[in-house]
Amino acid sequence: MSEQHQNLAIIGHVDHGKSTLVGRLLYETGSVPEHVIEQHREEAEEKGKGGFEFAYVMDNLAEERERGVTIDIAHQEFSTDAYDFTIVDCPGHRDFVKNMITGASQADNAVLVVAADDGVAPQTQEHVFLARTLGIDELIIGINKMDIVDYKEDTYNEVVEEVTQLLKQVQFNTEDASFIPISAFEGDNIAEASDNTGWYDGEILLEALNDLPEPEPPTDAPLRLPIQDVYTISGIGTVPVGRIETGVMNIGDNVSFQPSDVGGEVKTIEMHHEEVPKAEPGDNVGFNVRGIGKDDIRRGDVCGPADDPPSVAETFQAQVVVMQHPSVITAGYTPVFHAHTSQVACTIESIDKKMDPASGEVAEENPDFIQSGDAAVVTIRPQKPLSIEPSSEIPELGSFAIRDMGQTIAAGKVLEVNEK
Amino acid sequence: MGKVAAKIKVMPNSPEIDLDALQERLESSLPEGAKINGVEREEVAFGLVALYPTVIVPDGSGGTETVEENFTGVEGVESVGVENVGRI
Ligand SMILES: Nc1nc2c(ncn2[C@@H]2O[C@H](COP(=O)(O)OP(=O)(O)OP(=O)(O)O)[C@@H](O)[C@H]2O)c(=O)[nH]1
Ligand SMILES: [Mg+2]
Repeated sequence: MSEQHQNLAIIGHVDHGKSTLVGRLLYETGSVPEHVIEQHREEAEEKGKGGFEFAYVMDNLAEERERGVTIDIAHQEFSTDAYDFTIVDCPGHRDFVKNMITGASQADNAVLVVAADDGVAPQTQEHVFLARTLGIDELIIGINKMDIVDYKEDTYNEVVEEVTQLLKQVQFNTEDASFIPISAFEGDNIAEASDNTGWYDGEILLEALNDLPEPEPPTDAPLRLPIQDVYTISGIGTVPVGRIETGVMNIGDNVSFQPSDVGGEVKTIEMHHEEVPKAEPGDNVGFNVRGIGKDDIRRGDVCGPADDPPSVAETFQAQVVVMQHPSVITAGYTPVFHAHTSQVACTIESIDKKMDPASGEVAEENPDFIQSGDAAVVTIRPQKPLSIEPSSEIPELGSFAIRDMGQTIAAGKVLEVNEK
Repeated sequence: MGKVAAKIKVMPNSPEIDLDALQERLESSLPEGAKINGVEREEVAFGLVALYPTVIVPDGSGGTETVEENFTGVEGVESVGVENVGRI
């Protein structure tokens, strides 16, 4: 077991082999209990399925987990020399995108699975964009099912090229991406270099995972604590509650709540019902600030240091990808933006640039409209004060989901904030 | 279609609330097709206790939206938020 921990998202289009790959990784790293493997091998043989179906094992494990009392979502774990990995198998449907953006940060890095015989498919694009929006640092791209395409180098190169275009479209730095030809089913280039791909001399998957950069601790950023609820507790007074996203809160700190624009000194902090002198990222806390009344602050406020207060946007520029919209999006459109604990109607004031999916370059300046599948840079004006941060400075507070008509229609990340 | 487990954080509207009763009300508010696989509790601060039901929903259209809406309407609930989601 290693010291360092990483959350690894497995993303990719339906049927491209995500579960099979997870099964293979668990198997190769000795993380599937032997009895489970034996049992499923026997069952598979009885049913006359020739090979050993990892996806089948994973599905059965899922059933076992579902029968359990509680499900630890981050259940599947394996280790390399450098890291203990926890796998997050991302939901396929886009209606879960909002959860991934506003929920607890889940993944440090990701493996994108793209089937060699199918290439880039709709969910490949959505997941790549999501990875970028969620601040995933590095992407390992497994070009899977190489066995189906007879391990052909040409086919591999074509798919690599297709994925590279896609990365460019959403401005994902292609230097932070590595490509590996694999077969999750046959085990090629997972734990051992494969003889079937003699033309490939790069890293195999487990090496690439082992060589991922260490996740950066978010404590370097200033304190940002989005307020979830505000209570009045007898004997204490006003108690805001929330989860610290970045930075540290200490008793005695002078803090500011934005956009409500009030502040004071932190008197007490409690976590797990115990008084603590300080709290860190990931901690769920309730605290009390001198001079703050229940009506002074509200859900959606962000608490930060008084001398480095959370930004409040008059307008902000963002990169968005439209995931689904029945018609077209034009300037003036005002859907609801979900960012941290805040939900605010915002107007798309201007559509500044549209990206060309083929080249990743700006395809059109000031286009009249954008539609499903488009990536664009837009300027947004919140209809009520909204605290949000540039994603390059505080990624935890720099992304949002756009919802309308009961659907998540787009996701985005903040490029620049023009403060009030 | 696969299934998604969503860990949902439910904050009560006061420290005095009967958590067992609240938990039952959450159970009976579930939309069709969703089920609760156990509920964890976390003491937060100043007597407030958060409930974390793990809800299983289909990996399909609608996501966790109806569950969130229904939970929000339950008596004694202050706020509802999805902590994390993952396929099982
Ligand atoms: N030949 C071959 N088949 C594969 C490979 N990887 C996966 N498959 C098959 O492709 C099918 C889909 O694999 P899964 O692992 O279930 O794919 P998935 O991406 O998890 O699919 P969803 O969970 O439905 O999105 C299964 O029949 C696998 O056996 C591979 O490397 N080679
Ligand atoms: Mg799967």
